[in-house]
Amino acid sequence: MNQRIKELRAFIMDKKHHMHRHSSEHLGIHQLNEIYRRENLSPIERAVRNLATVFDREQPVILPGERIVLTRTVADIPDLFTEQEWAEIKSKYYLHERGYVCNISPDYATTLEKGLEARKAEITARIADPANDAEAVAFLQALLQSVEAIQSLVEKYEQYALSKGEEEIAATLHAVKTDGATTFHEALQLLRILHFTLWASGNYHNTLGRFDQYMYPYYRKDIESGRLTEETASELLEEFFLVCNKDSDLYPGMQQGDNGQSMVLGGRSITGAYLFNDLSELCLKASYELNLIDPKINIRVDKDTPLEVFELGSELTKIGLGFPQYSNDDVVIPGLIAKGYSREDAHDYVVAACWEFIIPKVAMDIPNIDAVSLAECVRNRTKDLKHCATFDDFMRLTEDEIRTQMDAIHRKHRNLWMAPAPVMSLLMDGTVERGRDISAGAKYNNYGIHGTGIATAVDSLAAIKKYFFEEQEITYEALTDALANNFAGYAEIKEKLRNEAPKMGQDNDYVDAIAVDLLNRFDAVLQEYVNERGGIYRAGTGTAMYYVWHAKGLGATPDGRIADEVIPANYSPSLFIRQKGPLSVIKSFTKPNLRRVINGGPLTLEFDRSMFKNSENIGKLAHLVQIYIALGGHQLQLNTVSREKLLDAKVHPENHRNLIVRVWGWSGYFVELDECYQDHVINRIEFGL
Amino acid sequence: MNRGIIFSIEEFGVNDGPGIRTVIFLKGCPLRCAWCHNPEGISFKPQYMEKKTGRMLCGYTVDAADIAEKILRNRDIFEMCGGGITLSGGEPLAQHRFVEEFLQQTASLHRAIETSGYAPPKTFRTIVDLVDLVLMDVKLMDSAKHKQYTGVDNHRILKNLDYLCTSGKNFVVRIPLIPGVNDDASNMQAVLSALKGAKSLQRVELMRYNKLAGAKYPMIGREYHPPFDPAQTPYVTDIFEKHQIPSIVLQ
Repeated sequence: MNQRIKELRAFIMDKKHHMHRHSSEHLGIHQLNEIYRRENLSPIERAVRNLATVFDREQPVILPGERIVLTRTVADIPDLFTEQEWAEIKSKYYLHERGYVCNISPDYATTLEKGLEARKAEITARIADPANDAEAVAFLQALLQSVEAIQSLVEKYEQYALSKGEEEIAATLHAVKTDGATTFHEALQLLRILHFTLWASGNYHNTLGRFDQYMYPYYRKDIESGRLTEETASELLEEFFLVCNKDSDLYPGMQQGDNGQSMVLGGRSITGAYLFNDLSELCLKASYELNLIDPKINIRVDKDTPLEVFELGSELTKIGLGFPQYSNDDVVIPGLIAKGYSREDAHDYVVAACWEFIIPKVAMDIPNIDAVSLAECVRNRTKDLKHCATFDDFMRLTEDEIRTQMDAIHRKHRNLWMAPAPVMSLLMDGTVERGRDISAGAKYNNYGIHGTGIATAVDSLAAIKKYFFEEQEITYEALTDALANNFAGYAEIKEKLRNEAPKMGQDNDYVDAIAVDLLNRFDAVLQEYVNERGGIYRAGTGTAMYYVWHAKGLGATPDGRIADEVIPANYSPSLFIRQKGPLSVIKSFTKPNLRRVINGGPLTLEFDRSMFKNSENIGKLAHLVQIYIALGGHQLQLNTVSREKLLDAKVHPENHRNLIVRVWGWSGYFVELDECYQDHVINRIEFGL
Repeated sequence: MNRGIIFSIEEFGVNDGPGIRTVIFLKGCPLRCAWCHNPEGISFKPQYMEKKTGRMLCGYTVDAADIAEKILRNRDIFEMCGGGITLSGGEPLAQHRFVEEFLQQTASLHRAIETSGYAPPKTFRTIVDLVDLVLMDVKLMDSAKHKQYTGVDNHRILKNLDYLCTSGKNFVVRIPLIPGVNDDASNMQAVLSALKGAKSLQRVELMRYNKLAGAKYPMIGREYHPPFDPAQTPYVTDIFEKHQIPSIVLQ
């Protein structure tokens, strides 16, 4: 970090740019939806009008030292519909989250290369097709108007830059207003413009995709021509990363920090080349230097990835960013192909906001549409144990219960509707050809289902198998009564179930075989369903915030967990079990066929910060990650935390403003989290030394 | 068929030898080092520890062959990362029969032992010949001071160190840096002299005094009264580097 970046970082971290912000109400645009209603505008007309209005009210700002510009000054994006209209929409349709397109991976590369004028020409030519229906014409016009809105914002900024004597900025904006990027700097500026526009359109969890791949041609060209050195390129890169933290508090998410600015580095190409390049390395270094929560870095690795890549990643883990997250191409790519993705598309996979494996450009998947509580599935059927002659009978009942939950989920998702997203459509493949908005679907329209409480379910099943079926130490009456009464009066049974029973994460084949079976059944049940868009349902091992929702109200479980007690986040051992250590956890958790649970969801390991006092230990952590990958793990995420620090931060948040933790699929500032999330982070298992 | 008593197995040992190591802590030690940070490793008998999470029995007996079999399950992992197993303690040589059988059973792994060197020379040689790496503590060269701070005379230790220096066995010398006790230049000079010409010496590891050393004493019903000032920063020598012996400071 040079002085310019340091100062810019301090400026942004001190939130000094917030002084330029104004609410939509202050700007008099908070009730646009009333106007849209009165004028009887269609949803897509509203989307375009909204963007144009917001951009019209945007006041150009150049922060001290900035070379890549665009700062949000309209603090909140006005809604497209009135409350009453939303109520009507909800009465007719199923809405996913906020009803806006989100959590997909746009194709920035095409527009970066061709430029906005060329995109306009492409759309104009397409409008002329006499075969277009009215919907296509309206859609294509909306695209055109969206590009024009972008161009006028850029023009406004350009004029402002000129008036401030910022000639380099003005020249960069002038170039990218019409043309494709010709330099790394222009490419970063144009990427900023496109990304900024997505957020301003109300779309969210706007991922950054394979940044090191689509930006590499610009980087390499500038390095080869001598326009940039590695040092000056790094400076620009750091600025771009910094920019991702500028308006992120305005982005919608479950919690502050949950904004989906995922970036994916590396990966194996379809021809077998490993694509981690100089720019990938610079990205890791920039993230290390800046020590900020965005962008959230993922690295695609496999069993042949050089150790150096894991070491670079471990340096980031060490400073406690909660990323990089690793995903294993050896598992993910064949897993996606098995689910019907083409070989080419599968090789291009990225990570959505948290961990879900999605395909850039061509997929309108909703990888987080819902969750099945596997722990609840087991608990609900415990009452039927008396009808089971064998443990396998009980596994079948558990599977039936997954089916029952899936039936409900499947019914719930009928008639999906999303607000049209012209800008996102512009950045997705095939929309112009089809003349249809991306919200209507794309080449892939699959839904992802999280499986929560996997370890709780597996441990419960293992306890039932061992103590009810095999050793017959616990009777049907005692077990069901103990669960119904939250173990009141059953201290001995609770002790046995909770502390003596074998657990997932201890490298115990007895339990782990049940995990293999349960996850296979989870995937198999989901395969019985087709969503209304013709897509499949993908099983996953992530939990998102469901680990909090599904634990509340969940009664005592046969693993000795008491009612309402937490369940693990993502793919992790139960929190109260006696741990043998990370090797056992890794061995247990790589036994299931993880190609089948390809919606994603990482194993999470937590390490005490003290582990990194010795610099040699970076290499050992790198080896540990490599081992997880070699053993067939699909995704891994590591945290570095100090319990004492977290406890202190709860009491004295003012002293720990910059303390970063990983929450479920994203990193955030600890002091900005709700208490239940803070406590969960504190309770998670640490492999301290 | 040899049984031993251990108090902990750590799967992801990162400070006791190369690669990722499983470290087995054997219970019981003939020394009484004033700075000991594993006081629960001193007694050869199981004992209770009062932890925040409740009372826990510390120490259990295991069969050498059983424990070897369990450890061997992770052989693939050790091979992937150049890791292995390390026997630590307590003082592993105090249970040399158990240790010997265990090492014979795990011959396919990289095996290290962490020892104070306080054992009869015959025992020391038998075990050293079975391992791939010795991590040997050298605390104080002065015999009287050694007795004062560790409770035992260092005669055997120095004799065993001599053997190690000429044996050709890969070894690491570990010096705890105890402020005002052994961090002085003359002690370091004496260590250097003892190591001179040892071709198989890998490096010297200077271990900073663990400020949390006192943490576990109350858990086993003891008080911690170090006869030195724990808050003082120890002097970190560079004498080894100056004499072309690689050294590293560990926290």
